Amino acid sequence: MSIFRLLTAGCVAILAAISGMVPGALAAGDEIVIGAPISLTGIFAADGLEQKWGYEQAIADANARGGVFVKAAGKKLPVRLVVADDESEPGKVAGAMERLIKVDKVDLLLSTHGGPMNVAGAIVAEKYKKFYMMTTCFPFMWSPQNFKWSALFFFTAGSAAEVPFKIWNSLPEDQRPQRPALVSEDTPDGHGFGGAFKSFAKQYGYSFAVDEPWAVGAKDYSAHILKMKAAKVDAILLFGAPADSITLVRQMKEHGLSVKYLHGWKGTWTGEFHDALGKDSDYVIADGFWSADFPYAGSAELGERYFKQFNKPSVTIGAFYANAQVLLEAIERAGTLDSAAVRDAVVGGTYENTVVGKLSFDDKGLALIESTANQWFDGKQHLFYPPVEGGWQVKLAPAWNER
Amino acid sequence: MRERITVYLGGVVVLGLAMVPFVPGAPDSYLFYFLFLFFLHTAIAQSWNLVAGFTGQISLGQHAFFGLGAYTTALIWQRQLFGESYGYYFDPLVLILSGLVAGIFALMVGFPLLAKLRGDYFALGTLGFGEIIRVAFVKGGQFTGGPFGIIMPSSVYETLRPHYWVGLALAGGLTYMIHRIRRSHFGLALISVRDDELAASSHGIDILKYKLIAFALGAVFTGIAGSLYGHYLFHVSPDGFLNLNWTLYPILMAVIGGSGTVLGPVVGAFAMTAVFTLASVSYPEIHPIFSGAVIILVMLFMPNGIMRLAKR
Repeated sequence: MSIFRLLTAGCVAILAAISGMVPGALAAGDEIVIGAPISLTGIFAADGLEQKWGYEQAIADANARGGVFVKAAGKKLPVRLVVADDESEPGKVAGAMERLIKVDKVDLLLSTHGGPMNVAGAIVAEKYKKFYMMTTCFPFMWSPQNFKWSALFFFTAGSAAEVPFKIWNSLPEDQRPQRPALVSEDTPDGHGFGGAFKSFAKQYGYSFAVDEPWAVGAKDYSAHILKMKAAKVDAILLFGAPADSITLVRQMKEHGLSVKYLHGWKGTWTGEFHDALGKDSDYVIADGFWSADFPYAGSAELGERYFKQFNKPSVTIGAFYANAQVLLEAIERAGTLDSAAVRDAVVGGTYENTVVGKLSFDDKGLALIESTANQWFDGKQHLFYPPVEGGWQVKLAPAWNER
Repeated sequence: MRERITVYLGGVVVLGLAMVPFVPGAPDSYLFYFLFLFFLHTAIAQSWNLVAGFTGQISLGQHAFFGLGAYTTALIWQRQLFGESYGYYFDPLVLILSGLVAGIFALMVGFPLLAKLRGDYFALGTLGFGEIIRVAFVKGGQFTGGPFGIIMPSSVYETLRPHYWVGLALAGGLTYMIHRIRRSHFGLALISVRDDELAASSHGIDILKYKLIAFALGAVFTGIAGSLYGHYLFHVSPDGFLNLNWTLYPILMAVIGGSGTVLGPVVGAFAMTAVFTLASVSYPEIHPIFSGAVIILVMLFMPNGIMRLAKR
């Protein structure tokens, strides 16, 4: 057989394989198929695995109750989750969504993670008029686009950036930071946060002794650390990826830079942060979208379930679980799997019993929640903001050589 | 004679592919999206092939041209450069301008790089250029939308048909152009520059001129491909468009298919798009391992590319 015939045969076989890609499924109408582009590989894979787990748990819990009642079907239907890898890249989210919509024929969609990737997903939702229920995207990226086929619950970068200043002002005056530093990465989220931090610092009467953007993925932050040491900083607000945050804390210890308050966003909340740093993660403060310490129904049980399975805490799974909770309840309220009807059930609706608390969506489909602050101590994250009754009180960190 | 038959066959295949959108239900299938990606990948692989496969100049800055093309489209559209009522969506002028801007940048950076650097040094120079462009767009403030980029109105989207046809025209046209170039004086000059610069120069070939033309032509078509992808995503950002993948993909596809051949990048683009697609569907959590293994196997057993198997 000549090479051309072989190539032709190969092409035909590949085209047949791709056109024949069909999901193993029940007959249409006998189940609810929910699709989710998730970062299973790439730099957000650790987040993506927590997201996948959160979605799976919410759907398993719904199925354990017999499924979701759909009025149009006249019965409860089982729910099936289909995920597609977005490779942690905004451009690949579109490909993952194409697959979910065209191959897996999903009825509705749950979001991926992060601002630019979620916006990429929302654009595909607009193109195909499929409802896309989102979380973990800052509203400043989503709201100006006036998307019609997505809804979002999350906190604003501004409200999250105000948290450390509220915490500082709640401390006795002699313990408040005098020379804080701002280290924020060169990304859309980093810029959003960086700007908000500076604005709130001014409002609360603080000024940054060092204000340095940092590159994602750099392996050596000595220059930043030495600059902060020279400026005698006593607190750091840090916005960076998990690997970068781990590197920074390690190098801070090596260079002997001690600060009494280190509050990280995006990079300090993962279990990997504690796994990599061990006791050195103590006193570090992490942001979060959720906490097992929340007083809402199902929160503590969800946190326990996660800890039992992975032997580490999570401050994200509740947001993803709640995202699926909202979508499933919206299906029940709409009584149909039609995207427009489900969207209408979310927009302007109030969802009382989610694991992130009550969610009230405005007429644009946006519901705001509050960012949390949790302190690492003895391998656990303790919620201290928003404060809960009898909850953890923030501890200021001693110098490295006094621990 | 055999080559003429191949050209006719190629023409028939392109015509057949151009008819696919008229098949009921075809534009809504995943296969249709796969073919669109295949055309896009073919266009960027052929562009790199022209510069590296035929002229011997390894460019590692193709992602810069891809991004420049996409950003040109986004900026023209966002700022409504030709007026509010102008139809920017798939406007030929916008597509051509996107390619031209990438080409102009290629001329500006190519002149000093190609005049002074050869081989690995030229490759590293283009890599540096790509990084400069990426950082410039990240730091571009309101003009470039910074790290978030620019969003175009997706409400104009109705179907994937125009993306498909433009992609097919770009990939098919570029492949035919390379076929014609290969047999022309211009193409022979490029090949002679690739094979032995000193010998080419001693025969009166202006080496810099030919290198520069190939580099700029490759950039123009990569820029148009970037514009096309921007029309698909409606969101042009440094992460999505100035990503090193847009340099690695064309190299991978051209090398696997057979760089320096006319059909090699087409075969490589088809093979790799299929491998990436099937792997991500079949093994969503470990597909890079599968794709990596396929690449290693192809390189082990077909080190000169799939198309050169025919010459064995």
